[in-house]
Amino acid sequence: MIKFIFIFLMTVTSAMAQMDFCTKELETYPVQAGGREKPLYVLANETVRFMTGSDKIGELSATEAFCKLSLKAFGMPLELPVAIKVDHVEVRKLLGLSEDQTSIPVNELEAKSGLLTEEMAQLKENNSYKKELSKVEQRLNTYRAIINARAWIVPLKKDDKIEFVSIGEFLTQSRVESAQGKGSNPVSYLFAEAKADYLAAKGDKYLLELKYYKWNLFVWALLSSLLSIILFVVMKNKIPGFIFAGLTIVMEIVAMTIRVMISGRAPITNMYETVMFSGFGALVIACFIYFMRRDLMFILAGLACNVLGLMMMKFANGMLDEGISPLVPVLRDNFWLSTHVSTIILSYAGLALSWLLANVLLIKSRFGNVSSQEYRYQVDLIYTCIKVGVVLLAAGIILGGVWADYSWGRFWGWDPKETWSLIVLLIYMAILHGKYTSWITPKRFVPMVAGAFMSVMMAWFGVNYILASGLHSYGFSEGGAIFLGSFFLIQTVILIIGSLKISKEA
Amino acid sequence: MALMNTLLSTYRKVELFFGNMKFAVIIIMLFAISLGYGTFMESYHGTEYANRLIYKSLWFMGIQFGMFLSILFATLIRLPPKKHLYGFYVIHAGLIIIFIGSFITYQSGVDGTITLTPNLPARNIQLSDDELKIQFPSKGKEVTVNLPYTAFQKDLGYEYEGIVLKNFLPFSENKQDWVPVKVEDPSQASSRYRIYTPNFGEFVTLSLHPQSDFNNTQQMGPLNVHYMPASLSKCFGQNTPDGLIIWNGETTGCISPTPKEIKKKKNVTGQEMIEVTFDGVRVQFLPQMSPLPLDDKMNLSENSPYRIFSKKLFEKSPHLFLFGKHAAFFDREAKKWSTANFDIGEEISLPWMGFKIKLLDHRTDAYPTMLPQYVKPVQENGQVIKGQTKAIEVSIGDQTFWVKSGEPISFNQNGERIIFDLGKKSLLLPYELVLDQFKMDTDPGTNNPASYESFITLFRGNAGSSKHHVFMNNPLKFENFTFYQASYFQTNEGPFGSVLSVNFDPGRFWKYLGSLLLVLGSIWHFVLRKKPVVKPGEARD
Repeated sequence: MIKFIFIFLMTVTSAMAQMDFCTKELETYPVQAGGREKPLYVLANETVRFMTGSDKIGELSATEAFCKLSLKAFGMPLELPVAIKVDHVEVRKLLGLSEDQTSIPVNELEAKSGLLTEEMAQLKENNSYKKELSKVEQRLNTYRAIINARAWIVPLKKDDKIEFVSIGEFLTQSRVESAQGKGSNPVSYLFAEAKADYLAAKGDKYLLELKYYKWNLFVWALLSSLLSIILFVVMKNKIPGFIFAGLTIVMEIVAMTIRVMISGRAPITNMYETVMFSGFGALVIACFIYFMRRDLMFILAGLACNVLGLMMMKFANGMLDEGISPLVPVLRDNFWLSTHVSTIILSYAGLALSWLLANVLLIKSRFGNVSSQEYRYQVDLIYTCIKVGVVLLAAGIILGGVWADYSWGRFWGWDPKETWSLIVLLIYMAILHGKYTSWITPKRFVPMVAGAFMSVMMAWFGVNYILASGLHSYGFSEGGAIFLGSFFLIQTVILIIGSLKISKEA
Repeated sequence: MALMNTLLSTYRKVELFFGNMKFAVIIIMLFAISLGYGTFMESYHGTEYANRLIYKSLWFMGIQFGMFLSILFATLIRLPPKKHLYGFYVIHAGLIIIFIGSFITYQSGVDGTITLTPNLPARNIQLSDDELKIQFPSKGKEVTVNLPYTAFQKDLGYEYEGIVLKNFLPFSENKQDWVPVKVEDPSQASSRYRIYTPNFGEFVTLSLHPQSDFNNTQQMGPLNVHYMPASLSKCFGQNTPDGLIIWNGETTGCISPTPKEIKKKKNVTGQEMIEVTFDGVRVQFLPQMSPLPLDDKMNLSENSPYRIFSKKLFEKSPHLFLFGKHAAFFDREAKKWSTANFDIGEEISLPWMGFKIKLLDHRTDAYPTMLPQYVKPVQENGQVIKGQTKAIEVSIGDQTFWVKSGEPISFNQNGERIIFDLGKKSLLLPYELVLDQFKMDTDPGTNNPASYESFITLFRGNAGSSKHHVFMNNPLKFENFTFYQASYFQTNEGPFGSVLSVNFDPGRFWKYLGSLLLVLGSIWHFVLRKKPVVKPGEARD
């Protein structure tokens, strides 16, 4: 028996070694992962990035590395420098790393895996240290799944139906033997045959995702936004600025449309997508307001919000997960999801504009000279943004109530997400009502608006990252608490710096 | 006329107070702060605690009523209508209508759940309020006591025919407590120990008292702990070749006979039979067959107080015998039974894997029991993990006991049976629902649920039946009620059961109308009203 397996493994490995099986061509190979069908490129990149934090292993691209690691299961003798990412300083210490070593070679980690399990069993409290321990273990398990040929799930035609099996089941002895002599070698013959069957049955729609990831439209949109801001500031002629602002909008619409085509739902179902949609929304709202108020400040604020959103998408991978995965059943209603969430996110975008303008005015009047007439005018611009935000927020909350009533049978349930969106509305309402009393003068209005946005951040990120309970916990992920804490800290510092002047004047 | 004027001026004062913009700001901020507090309480202590503490509490109702008054009087004070305030009137009218709709829902709406076990007819809607049912089966009578929706311990002070309901605990956990005994009996002692190794440890409470919630044996991994009357300890310390101990359950005396004191013989079937003299009485046993002695007719006698057992049975694996302040165990290295004495606060070493034992408490004047005590519930990762049990302290005559949610208690009073059942209020549907099948689909290649679906038959007696399919975003509407897919559970037999939330909302129309007015009014008020401030240096059109 052992001899048979050995001979079989030899067939597979020699077949693969002969033709350098793991090439970039595999990027377009259809696979199943996380409940969806996608190109291998996407799975390999997501997996390798999750394990190592990088898109490459040594000199190999994620796809090549993923393929080669999978072949280890068939006895391919191969050592790749896989290093598992370790984020938490305490976990680094536990694994015997120095504080600035961000990863550990997988063989070393394998040798110390008992240490991880033991440490997790002893920790009672589910703190960030324990979460990171379990994350490191997940990364190791992902590696184990790959080298045991369990992570790569490929299509296989059985009784005229496409099913998905792991390559461990795909490359069985009998199948490889039956393919002997067909094509250049049996393994590549089997892979090519399965792909052809898949394409015949389901078409190549899944390849759209490859384009989505390769085109990197959001990075281009980020560059175009920045360029647009620079052109507006530097050049007297505003047309080039408008061209690039328009280009940004177009690219974002294209990118989001592709994303919608891939996922089959509105692009607002997780934190990554809400950040994406809010940045886009801020720019679009700013353009609309610009057509009514004709002040370039709106466009600049919209572009700035858009840049902030795109930066978060690009650089805050720990907090925002870019991957496209199936929705939890509760959210599988496209109409209500689209209307309710997009209204709320647009309202946050409107309020973000007011927040940005308020902070700018706060800093300007602290360090520069702003005439009282100019100040009054700027306050009015801020007020315009708040009006848009508040109307959309009220509408969004009500739409959420209608959806909840329709899906769960109650209009309102004091769920933390809905409660916090109401808190945001109440805070802005208190400010808007207070404007009519002697309590909130224009000088106090500006820092209040800048500070009130912290409630938006709490409703948007804090509920998921800090409170993390209730029906809306679908967006929960790590790293957000630090982001939110830093935001609150920086905003508070700006408020303190800005208000020093006010108290001096008074 | 004067009265009219006084009334009018009082009204003006009220109107000025509640319709004041500053009052609005204060009440809005109070509302917002309470809500923020509520979300944190919910995160730490769970939904029910947050509801009881804040969202459904009286003071929170008060704040909402304050909001209502503010909105109402702010509108009234701005009458007769002014053109530039039309948007404002619509917004505030919308809000008032929403408040009215919510109040109607609160007063006469139904929000509950119905649990469907496959193929079992169900018509019972469970509501969120708690009640205590006191049933008198012999009289065919039932009394229902509504329990307060509070977050804290509360003295109910309720009395019915000699039954007194004392403390109600909306959240509780069983904690150990000592109950004094009326007559002290050393053979019914109880002790509390800590048994530990350098890596782990456990508190162990053992009791011989018949009313205690604690047993006289406990297993800790490979270690078996046995708790026995103190008078038996001396027999464990004596090392005899046979290792036999005979004890009298009534006097709790024991002997560990030496070979000289044992008469061995064989019975008719060839089994080994022994005979010893204990307290001057001759007792016979078949030690390999039973711990019971034989009577005159050579039958096993269950009524006799004597028992026999062999210590040899406890020499192979770790067994620890505890007798309050004494301990006995088999030392495998020394190949003999050792005993040790320790007082409260002292510890002794055991011969297994560095185990130590410390005596924490030893009492004969009281026995340990688990009594519910109020705790704040604790929520972790979205699950309430502590304090979910509700409990009521009931007192009848000189007896006091606790009734816990989900554990009905039957009590005998002068031969009459009284049943106490602490549970949720419920409502009976005029028809029956039967779950034919619950189906859960997963995303391909994963275990993540993709949909939950219930296939239901609705029976209306003579009016026939109908089939329905309930799933996410597709509720069943029937007569006044709407049934939504809410949750599921696995039955012991295997198939899944389904939980539907059941809802009747008579305020729905008003809430929708108010919402519509609110949104339209906001747009009217904000977008179409005010002329913007002009940019410095630009002329107004």
